[in-house]
Amino acid sequence: MSSLSTMLASPGTMVQCDDDPEAVYEFLCEKGWNDGLPVIPPTPARVERMLAYCDRDFDKPVAKIPPRFGAATPIRVAANAVMAGCKPEYFPLVLLALEAMAEEPYNLYGTQATTHPCTPMLIFNGPIAREIGINAGHNVMGNYFRANAAIGRAVRLALVNIGAAIPGIGDMATAGTPAKFTFCVAENEAASPWEPLHVELGFPQDASTVTVIAAEGPHNINDHESITAEGILTMTAGTMTITGSNNAYYAGQPCVAFGPEHAQTVAGGGMSKADVKKWLFERATLPMSRFSQEGIERRFRRKLSDQYANAPLDAPVRMFAKPDDLIVIVTGGAGKHSAYIPTFGNTRSVTQPLRRADGELVKSIQELKRG
Amino acid sequence: MAQLTKRGLIAAVVCSDSFMKLGTAQAKVFGVPDLPLLKIQHPLGGLNMDKVRERAAVALPQLLKVVKEKQS
Repeated sequence: MSSLSTMLASPGTMVQCDDDPEAVYEFLCEKGWNDGLPVIPPTPARVERMLAYCDRDFDKPVAKIPPRFGAATPIRVAANAVMAGCKPEYFPLVLLALEAMAEEPYNLYGTQATTHPCTPMLIFNGPIAREIGINAGHNVMGNYFRANAAIGRAVRLALVNIGAAIPGIGDMATAGTPAKFTFCVAENEAASPWEPLHVELGFPQDASTVTVIAAEGPHNINDHESITAEGILTMTAGTMTITGSNNAYYAGQPCVAFGPEHAQTVAGGGMSKADVKKWLFERATLPMSRFSQEGIERRFRRKLSDQYANAPLDAPVRMFAKPDDLIVIVTGGAGKHSAYIPTFGNTRSVTQPLRRADGELVKSIQELKRG
Repeated sequence: MAQLTKRGLIAAVVCSDSFMKLGTAQAKVFGVPDLPLLKIQHPLGGLNMDKVRERAAVALPQLLKVVKEKQS
């Protein structure tokens, strides 16, 4: 590994401007190197501190970020993490999320450049999310919590500044979503009646993972009345069945994020996660007749002709292709709300565990502290 | 199209005007900055066949020009 000071001295690595915070903000806005909000200036000293928990080579890319296919080296990502307001302890999770998104099934190129309003939803599981303080309780998808805000924002800044997801040039989203500022949650494992997502996917309980989903913003499921599993799931299915969703046509993996109270009611009815997925697979359907005549003729009859060429108008249109495609987590605080998160169409979720450079699972973020 | 161009074939991309910046940038990223972009009016999706034919009529002369230039 070349030394940090050598890297910083190489041509084009650094730019100079007035060190007044407002001047830095103006400079970055003029350059287009931000997300529109004020940032912490990524000075060499701050970037170096950000790398305190990075056990990778600082100049070796962990991913290439399209559409520019910019090299996401730790040093570049660290500059974005500084700008976002990350603590150094957050940094390994920012890198991990970018690595996961670079896996082919996620389709980072498509999700970056599409007109669809998708953005990476980051779901963290395992002990490190708790150790560094990623919120899994009240307002989990909202504001206020530094780790949720800064980790998701750092990822987004890297997508813009390294990958060139610049609106109208590399990010063609028609309207986008406010979730493009940050969309980062932890699963509320302590409040869940079910096994957490990473355990369901085969990782050890004490592994720490990120799951990335090319997500729309969350759609609320308000249900203060149902007191049975079927009641909660009926309301969930009703929220999931929307004609304008990519998930009605493609093989994406939408997510139901149950609030703990809804989850307890569903589990109290004797339903496992697998049962929930199967129930929703069978019932979260729309009759084809709910779509426009043009949609029926052009999309269903022609493009999806293997399923719908001669199907009756009341043929069910499913919101996911098979039961296991639905991602189910439990997150949030008290209250009778859950969330449904539709996705981009041509994408799959990716889950990656946090490992040390030697391949061992990281049990505490302190294992990664340098020197 | 970038791969076809690199293999020496004549290639071009039909691109609606709203996507010209993306198309131009991607041609550079993929190492074929001179890849011809055949500019048509946006949108291309959600059109009836008459509108699709109108766009084809705009793209076709551009394509023929590219082919003639590449062959000469």
